[in-house]
Amino acid sequence: MKELKALVLTGYGLNCDIETAYACELAGAIADRVHINDVIRPGFPLDEYSIMVFTGGFSWGDDHGAGVIQAVRMKKNAGDRILRFVEDGNLILGICNGFQTIVNMGLLPGFDGNYTSRRLALTYNDSGNFVDQWVNLAVNPDSPCVFTQGMDAIELPVRHGEGKLAADDAVINRLEEENQVVCRYALADGSSAAGKFPENPNGSINDIAGICDPSGRIFGLMPHPEGFNHPTNHPDWCRKKANRQENAGFSQTGISIFENAVKWLQGR
Amino acid sequence: MPHRLEIALKPGLLDAEGKAVVRKADDYFGIRIDDARCVSILTMDAEFTADQLEIIRGQIFTNPVIQLSSWAPLSIDFDWCIWVGYRPGVKDNPGATAVEAIEDVLGMRLAAGMAVYTSRRYCISSSSMTREEALTVARELLHNDIIQQVRVYSRAEWDPAVGVGMIIPAVRLDHVPTVSVIDVKSDETLQDVSYERNLALNPRDIPVIRSYFIAPKVMAERERIGLCHPTDVELEYISQGRSDHCNHNTFRGLFNYKDIETGETRVFDNLFKTFIEAPTLELQKQKDWVVSVLWDNAGVGKFDADNYYVITGETHNSPSNMEAYGGSITGIVGVYRDPLGTGKGARLVMGAYGFCTGFRDYSGELSPRLHPRRLLDGVIEGVRDGGNKSGVPTPFGQVIFHDGYMGKCLVFVTALGIMPARIAGEPSEQKVTKPGELIVMCGGRVGKDGIHGVTASSEIFSENTPAGHVQIGDPYTQKKMHDFLLEARDKGYIAFITDNGGGGLSSSVGESARFSNGCEVWLDKVPLKYEGLDQWEIWISESQERMTVAVRPEHLDRFMALSEKHAVLSTVIGKYTDTGKLHITYDKKTCAYVDIDLLTHGFPQWEFVAEWVPPELRGLSEPVLSSPNDYRSLLIDMMGRPNICSRQWITRQYDHEVQGGSVIKPLVGKDRDVNSDAAVIRPVLGSSCGLVFSQAAIPFYSAIDAYHMTACTIDEAVRRLIAVGGDPDHIGGVDNFCWPSIVYDEKSNPDGKFKAAQLVRSCRALYDLCMAYKIPLLSGKDSMYVDGHLPGPYGERHGISALETLQFSATGVIKDVNKCITMDVKKSGDLVYVIGETKDELGGSEYYDRFGYIGANVPMVVPDIFFAAYNKLATAVREGLTASIRGIYRGGLGVHLAMSAMAGGLGMAVDLEKVPASTGLSNDHLLFSESAGRFIVSVAHENAARFEELLADTATACIGRVTELPVLDITGIGGKSLCSVEMAELKQAWKKPFGGLI
Repeated sequence: MKELKALVLTGYGLNCDIETAYACELAGAIADRVHINDVIRPGFPLDEYSIMVFTGGFSWGDDHGAGVIQAVRMKKNAGDRILRFVEDGNLILGICNGFQTIVNMGLLPGFDGNYTSRRLALTYNDSGNFVDQWVNLAVNPDSPCVFTQGMDAIELPVRHGEGKLAADDAVINRLEEENQVVCRYALADGSSAAGKFPENPNGSINDIAGICDPSGRIFGLMPHPEGFNHPTNHPDWCRKKANRQENAGFSQTGISIFENAVKWLQGR
Repeated sequence: MPHRLEIALKPGLLDAEGKAVVRKADDYFGIRIDDARCVSILTMDAEFTADQLEIIRGQIFTNPVIQLSSWAPLSIDFDWCIWVGYRPGVKDNPGATAVEAIEDVLGMRLAAGMAVYTSRRYCISSSSMTREEALTVARELLHNDIIQQVRVYSRAEWDPAVGVGMIIPAVRLDHVPTVSVIDVKSDETLQDVSYERNLALNPRDIPVIRSYFIAPKVMAERERIGLCHPTDVELEYISQGRSDHCNHNTFRGLFNYKDIETGETRVFDNLFKTFIEAPTLELQKQKDWVVSVLWDNAGVGKFDADNYYVITGETHNSPSNMEAYGGSITGIVGVYRDPLGTGKGARLVMGAYGFCTGFRDYSGELSPRLHPRRLLDGVIEGVRDGGNKSGVPTPFGQVIFHDGYMGKCLVFVTALGIMPARIAGEPSEQKVTKPGELIVMCGGRVGKDGIHGVTASSEIFSENTPAGHVQIGDPYTQKKMHDFLLEARDKGYIAFITDNGGGGLSSSVGESARFSNGCEVWLDKVPLKYEGLDQWEIWISESQERMTVAVRPEHLDRFMALSEKHAVLSTVIGKYTDTGKLHITYDKKTCAYVDIDLLTHGFPQWEFVAEWVPPELRGLSEPVLSSPNDYRSLLIDMMGRPNICSRQWITRQYDHEVQGGSVIKPLVGKDRDVNSDAAVIRPVLGSSCGLVFSQAAIPFYSAIDAYHMTACTIDEAVRRLIAVGGDPDHIGGVDNFCWPSIVYDEKSNPDGKFKAAQLVRSCRALYDLCMAYKIPLLSGKDSMYVDGHLPGPYGERHGISALETLQFSATGVIKDVNKCITMDVKKSGDLVYVIGETKDELGGSEYYDRFGYIGANVPMVVPDIFFAAYNKLATAVREGLTASIRGIYRGGLGVHLAMSAMAGGLGMAVDLEKVPASTGLSNDHLLFSESAGRFIVSVAHENAARFEELLADTATACIGRVTELPVLDITGIGGKSLCSVEMAELKQAWKKPFGGLI
């Protein structure tokens, strides 16, 4: 099995780098936590990596729109190299602040091979406030997303104040038609949250929680798969234990998303 | 020429912030607003070309999908427009990040003195709104005059071409830094100087200070260096170092204690040494997991063979009371520097909060600066932003309402960190400074912020307290510094590290230089926010987000390169020496030259008279109260009381899962909405070891006796740990005292002697409980002077003192987190047990408070009996026998049976006659007594025999079972049904008071 390296971004207020690197390693990759300023340095060997993870956190304090300043910095200083990284068939995962960042860079939605155009926004939750809770996600089986192959549902935590996906109708319709909508906020039984709070925690259009580019290799989502790296992360684990379900109650954790990525790269 | 960019959401998009303004205006003041739209304003005091402006606007500050922006005022219709911006000198965090972004995108640096200032205007549509109402919304909702300026425009007053104009709140001091020399001819002169300069020197310290400077040997030494009389730098340094905040003079004081009833008199010399240090040193010998206590910024305990945990707790009361958001965010961000400055530096892994304020719906006659509702909102938001943006989970917290906190609110903030046991081959908990090492200041720049903060917090709030010490913490800058310093630590570049908190450099450098025995400081090297600060201001400024680090010369280049990579400002500002002197220069000219140990000896101890008047002599007695007969309504009402009801709206604003180690969350149960007893995290992701944490505060019992308040508070914190699976052999404590002034004064503090006695009694209880439960005090702090003066309806002012309050934090290590349990009942048919005896102890209870009574029978802790039961219960948890455990806390058995059942989404049928209890208790006593030492445990049938065997010899009994039917069914004494209440109804009552808040 060939060795796969994952680049996990740190610095400037990002804060999920340690657990994201841990999740990559649980999935079988070698994870390096790399400072944004190292990545944008000329000569940084981005080509050694197969997965680049834009991590969660509050880059630049989220002061002028979540992920906005990070996107400006990355695009200006490393935009071309990141586009080449994509062209080379590698994977990009944007989680929470990372999702906000890659949307602002234009890596998503990536219509017609255009990876620099800003077509979507992740804006303030309808509640007007930050929220930490777990959500049920229904996964679109027809999505090309390589990170969610074979999954139909998963529970993950959300922790954000700006997670409402907004865009023109035409953009949303196209995301839907091309199956670029990867996962949606849902009720516990997998049926539609229909915009209802708190199942849909932010008022996102069509309950959209995560999307991918047409190739399925760039995936952004508001929930935190790395936040479910151990059975005891799940809010119900004690209840399942007491009902003698043990950890068998969790057929998958957030690590499955990272494993899918590694599996896909190994099969490439 | 300055430029002003206005940014708003496109019309038709929901403006969540505007919506919140509409909702609050209606909820708080009954003011009807149809719609409110927010406009962000960036005022750029810098030169840009037209092309550059378009890049700035288009590439950074406007999201083309959702926003509109313009360099001219946006034309958004309104009836009233309220503009709010910062006052000069107030930390503008978004303004600073805007500069970073502009510099990045334009590939240039802004010229010195150029800056970006953020502000907002709110466009309010309301046909009925009067100017008076607009001013109310401005003053009471959107603006705080301590930190902000405000302008209110009617539609007619608004010039659409000019908008708010160009408002540049830059600080321009036009002042040449000057060192003043102060002739201390007599003690009286020094006293006058102290008063004029707001030094707050204690009158008893004055002769000591003066005698130092007039000693012939000192004068001769000073003459050689070109100094004579003390300088303002030196006196300010002494003032900082001798403040109660820094030096804990109260806790180190001499207490003449007298019990008025028995006539017993005792002298307690130094409460800290007697009741905190002594037991902790004794327990350190018994507990090999105690790594480092009593000297550093935080205490250190052993997590596993390779890692140590670090814990401390702080308060930030006075600033929060004036500017709730700024004060509390500064508090949480500030306490996070303590673990970072402990040993050679710890990574932050958990935070917790405790807020004490007046009632949220207060409608009485007093007019506090900030209404408790607004105060609490601001405090919640400050700790939220400070914690979330630091990337540190906040999985535990508490809020307590009481009228006594109207004078000054309490904001407790607690921080836990983790560090490797060894760093570059050396023990991580040890550090010293050595001659030749460089003094490096890392993080933010220095301004006038927080000057005299520590002396102000050591004073009772007067109407003239200067507002200058209110700051706004910057978690973003600090997070960058945190990441940088940990990387520097792991590379072995950090010889010593400490934070700049109260007293600023004067404290961090002064204290760290005691290890090397001297230092030289070059104040002109310290990077400033703006020119014109006097030398003494640079030396004592409390500008936030700064650490002081000792770096060996051979590491300096690599340390600075790493600092640059992390975009952190680091500056060499001096060096450590072994001259025995603190030597400060500015432009090579000496401005301070004193003995490095000047502050540590020779000063007189503070003295207090403490007179204990027992409750009976204060006229306290049990109320004459017969048992009620409508238990259904009573229980429902109890669930909705402010000090019991749900605070879910707060908990969910706080990221309690970041870092990926969440095990026991703050809200648990089937619907994930009932408070857990404690929090558990896995701070080291690859390990199944956990860190368990809880806090308690029950100030209500201080109305009877602060001894029992303290004992019960500690007992509750310990039970909370045990309830989730904590280990009774490993409990570390943190004591945070918040006390009203204990300095007796006939006029201003007539019961000062009593409050002093309460403090002595509290400390005695702290000692007794810590020894009995074997809890070393890993850290602790005291904050005295929790008093305020509030205006009443006729222009009179009322002195208000808080209840004597101790927040106790407890932590420990859980070897296998898979053994942890939660408080929700799990399965119908499981048996329900109560551990611990219920007694006639309703004094200070929530139940008595419901009727306005205090009572006299305060709950008492019986440590030996209780702790034996805790050990047995812990064994039962380890053996996996328990399905749920809930401690019985505020509100008593009835309330916590309801909590446990409703969390499980099931019901319960219990018989009060079976509850282990002292004889003769009535139904209301059994349900609402707050006796300490008790738990509610549910156990599956197959485990019952073993559980009962383990808990034999304790006051434990099975009182009923978990039912499928979601009803709390209570049978009273004599077998008569007391009540049968649907869980849904109880839950609704519990959630209702704050249910509408988000």
